[in-house]
Amino acid sequence: MKSILLVLAVVFAVNSSSIFAQQKLMDGQRIAEKTHERNEGVTLKRNLIMELKDKRGKTRVRKTIALRKYFGKEKRLLIFYETPSSVKGTGFLTFDYPEASKDDDQWLYLPALRKTRRISAANRGDYFLGTDLTYEDIKLETKISKEDYNYTTIRIEKIDNHECYLIEATPKNIATKKELGYSKAKFWVDSKLWMIRKSESWDIAGNSLKTVKISDIRKVQNIWTIHHILVTNHKTKHETVFKFENNDYQTELSDDYFTEEALVNGL
Amino acid sequence: MKQNRVEAFFNKVVSNYRVILVVCALLFLGSVMFLPKLSKDTRYDAFLPAKDSVLIKRNQLKETFGLKDPMIIAIVNDKGIFNKNSLKIVYEISEQLKSISGIDPDQITSLSTENNIVGTDSGILVKPFYDIEELTDEKALEVSKSIDDFELYQGSLVSHDKTTTLIVAEMLDSYDMKQHEVYNSLHEMISQYNIKDHKFYLAGEGAVSGYLIKYIDEDAMRTNPFAGLVIALILIFAYRTIRGVLLPNLMVLASVGIALGLMAAFGVDFFVITNGLPVVLIAIAVADGIHILGEYYELAIKHTNYTQKELVVETMVKMWRPIAITSFTTISGFMSIALSSYMPPMIYFGVFGALGVLVALLYALFMIPSAMMLLKPQKSRVFKSVDKVDKFGNIMLLLGSFVVKQPKTILISGILIIILGIVGALKLLINEDRIKNFQSDEPIVIADQLINNKTDGTSYLDVLIETPQNEDLFKIENLQKIDSLQNYIESISYVKGSTSIVDFIKKMNQSMHENQEAFYKIPDNNQLVAQYFLLYSASGDPTDFDNYIDYDYKLANVRFRMNSGEYINEKEVINKAQKYINTHFTSSQIKATLSGKVAVDTHWISKLGVNHFLGAIIALLVVLFVSAISFKSLIAGVLTVIPVTISVLFIYTVMGVMDIWLAVGTSMFAAIAIGVGVDFAVHTIDRLKYFLNEKKLPIKEAYTEFYKSAGRALLFNFLALALGFSVLMTSSVPPLNQFGFLVAIAVIVSFLGSMTLLPAIILLTKPKFFINKK
Repeated sequence: MKSILLVLAVVFAVNSSSIFAQQKLMDGQRIAEKTHERNEGVTLKRNLIMELKDKRGKTRVRKTIALRKYFGKEKRLLIFYETPSSVKGTGFLTFDYPEASKDDDQWLYLPALRKTRRISAANRGDYFLGTDLTYEDIKLETKISKEDYNYTTIRIEKIDNHECYLIEATPKNIATKKELGYSKAKFWVDSKLWMIRKSESWDIAGNSLKTVKISDIRKVQNIWTIHHILVTNHKTKHETVFKFENNDYQTELSDDYFTEEALVNGL
Repeated sequence: MKQNRVEAFFNKVVSNYRVILVVCALLFLGSVMFLPKLSKDTRYDAFLPAKDSVLIKRNQLKETFGLKDPMIIAIVNDKGIFNKNSLKIVYEISEQLKSISGIDPDQITSLSTENNIVGTDSGILVKPFYDIEELTDEKALEVSKSIDDFELYQGSLVSHDKTTTLIVAEMLDSYDMKQHEVYNSLHEMISQYNIKDHKFYLAGEGAVSGYLIKYIDEDAMRTNPFAGLVIALILIFAYRTIRGVLLPNLMVLASVGIALGLMAAFGVDFFVITNGLPVVLIAIAVADGIHILGEYYELAIKHTNYTQKELVVETMVKMWRPIAITSFTTISGFMSIALSSYMPPMIYFGVFGALGVLVALLYALFMIPSAMMLLKPQKSRVFKSVDKVDKFGNIMLLLGSFVVKQPKTILISGILIIILGIVGALKLLINEDRIKNFQSDEPIVIADQLINNKTDGTSYLDVLIETPQNEDLFKIENLQKIDSLQNYIESISYVKGSTSIVDFIKKMNQSMHENQEAFYKIPDNNQLVAQYFLLYSASGDPTDFDNYIDYDYKLANVRFRMNSGEYINEKEVINKAQKYINTHFTSSQIKATLSGKVAVDTHWISKLGVNHFLGAIIALLVVLFVSAISFKSLIAGVLTVIPVTISVLFIYTVMGVMDIWLAVGTSMFAAIAIGVGVDFAVHTIDRLKYFLNEKKLPIKEAYTEFYKSAGRALLFNFLALALGFSVLMTSSVPPLNQFGFLVAIAVIVSFLGSMTLLPAIILLTKPKFFINKK
């Protein structure tokens, strides 16, 4: 609560001529920036379990080990599949560059072929490995983009009893809209933790597309950590649950893990 | 019933004529009220009962793989479709389709919606064939090359000569009975595209159903009033009085109105062949009225001093029996269709046809005498005196004298027809094609032909592949089985192409090996297949393979495309495919089941032949039974069925000569022809027995009496039936057209048989039933 008061005080000071209703709420762009200012640790090792469910209720479960490390502002992510056995050992490596102009690099290692394949620069709006989140969603995780949208702060709402800013986002231009695959989005950002707790998005034609719910946020090694994401695709009725277990920020992860060679050799 | 009891009964009827008329009117209005509820079902699925195992399997398949009856739009540019302009049109139509109600926006397949799988030097890329913003003529040529490299889409999405491309749009299930609305929207949409060099066509299973709803509506609007008009004209000729035209017509109206009204009330759908029912009922129902009025006018001449009540009661006392017998034989005909058929449309045709005839009988027995009570006694100008015969009577007398002179010639002709008929029956071709429901110059037929000529075709055979465990479809041996099945079935005539998950796996394998053609094959390890799918998901949509494989990788659908919808061609494919499955899919590890339109069609049409002959035999037996009981003589019963048997056999010869298929519409002719045609024989035997046995007239005199009275009434009965059924020949729905033609011919033959062969046989054999030899 203190931080909110502080922010409110700042807004008052900066923009004292505004009417009261507007003064009360924090600027959306500022909220977006705040989500990037959180402590995420440098390295993170965790188990990522993806449960994919189609509209008939059939489920595919994929258990993976996921490693993440920041190299300055560059983020590298490595995922190894453990089950089902048919894809065991399949590895996925991605380099997210901070510069918007530079395409991210992605590789997939197929043990059955004993070959690493580079995945040609995926669209940011492409679906991530059969889930309902896009590459962009995965990259941001609990953050919201600082560059892509114009934000309007609507009001304060409670999600799971946590006070959140509800902000509405519209892509800055048509190119961004097409690239992301969203014509509009709403984010509920926790006003204390600066993490998204919920989001809704609409496709390019304006149809309701997805609802994302993030839950079970608790501190691990003194860092606020998410443990559960539920994504519902309203168009395809497809659903994805991401579960994060055994989150570990302390184990040192050597830079060598995040290379093409390590992808082949495994953990 | 004893004569005096019958008289007492009809006395009661005419005394309570007001009540009866009110009840009749209420019954009619009460039924007709439901008519707006009547819904039309023109899908080919409608030919199977909802609990049929083949249909259930097919619906499961549709549900699992999201398959529905498609609307197919063909875009033709004779200069080739791989240019900026044509591909832009493909894009625009595909986008526009998404907003048309009834179309599933996620199930549109076209060059602009599908993804290309490209092998790059470093990996694999899934991306749309083209991006509308970057589309140029050069890019369009690249799309052409992509299709060259993607066997799967050759023939299915783009014709081999590259002049035609298809847009396939699946309909939402909620539009099952409203395909015509979707058809109309689509038709309107494509007619707005008026672009140089481009032609647009609309076909596909969904379009055929939609078109058919519109088509049979328009047809009914034309044939039903026309049938009424024809009947009215015949009645005018028969009696030249207003009541003589009006009363039988009221009966007809009641029969048709109540039969259809009750159909609606019971929630029975209106099928394509149901369209023939009103016309059939019009022709049949009027007969009772003709006979009653004929008798009435004859009595009016004989007994000028009778009151109207006396005239009416005496008419009914004389006529109730033949009318009841003929109605029951006709009902038997309809019921034999209902009993022998497996297909709901035919069962309902039989049931509601029988109901209509029953209503006509009840209205003849109650409504006509009651309505007559509102009127004064009247003579018809046609019936001038007891002894005077008009020209229609004279025609019949002429026929009578020929029979008396040449009985042997007639008998030999009868035997000849029987022999020819048996030969014809053995050569009957059972066949059906839904597109033959339309005249050959209808736009839907032209579109269908074009698409079948240019591409792999619009008739689908789906094969459901089932395995016991999750991910069993990653197994190489299973994939190879599917591949061999595809190769085999594609080698059968009329099968032009197929699509399965195997095709995508091969394409992925090729892409992963620098696009080398040698790698367009199933890879050789299970894990690799699983990993290809994972790789694909790195840039493709999660739902991309929904139409081909289920989420557990346990079930797969293989879709074969045929360019013929004819039963005999489909049957050939089904038989061969089933034989192949029986020998190659024997293990419990992988199962294959034939399904889809082609399998469903074959399943129900294969029952058509057996149903037809069974229906005809049941009808004959029931008619034999009813007449033998009524006449209390087996000989009389056998004689009754002779003319109809000959009429049916004659039709087989006609079908053989004119190359008419035994199909849905035509297969019903025999039972109807028997039930209706037997009336002539019943009246003939009834009257001849009366003149010969009861009045004990010498043969010549008895025959003269028969031909000038009963013969004349039968002539009008015959004209009403023959012309009534001929009205169906003006129908633009070919199966109804042929049905009408066949029944009309059968009616002619059974009328002539009853008027010539039957008296000839009696003359030659002199059975005891007619001639007391004592």
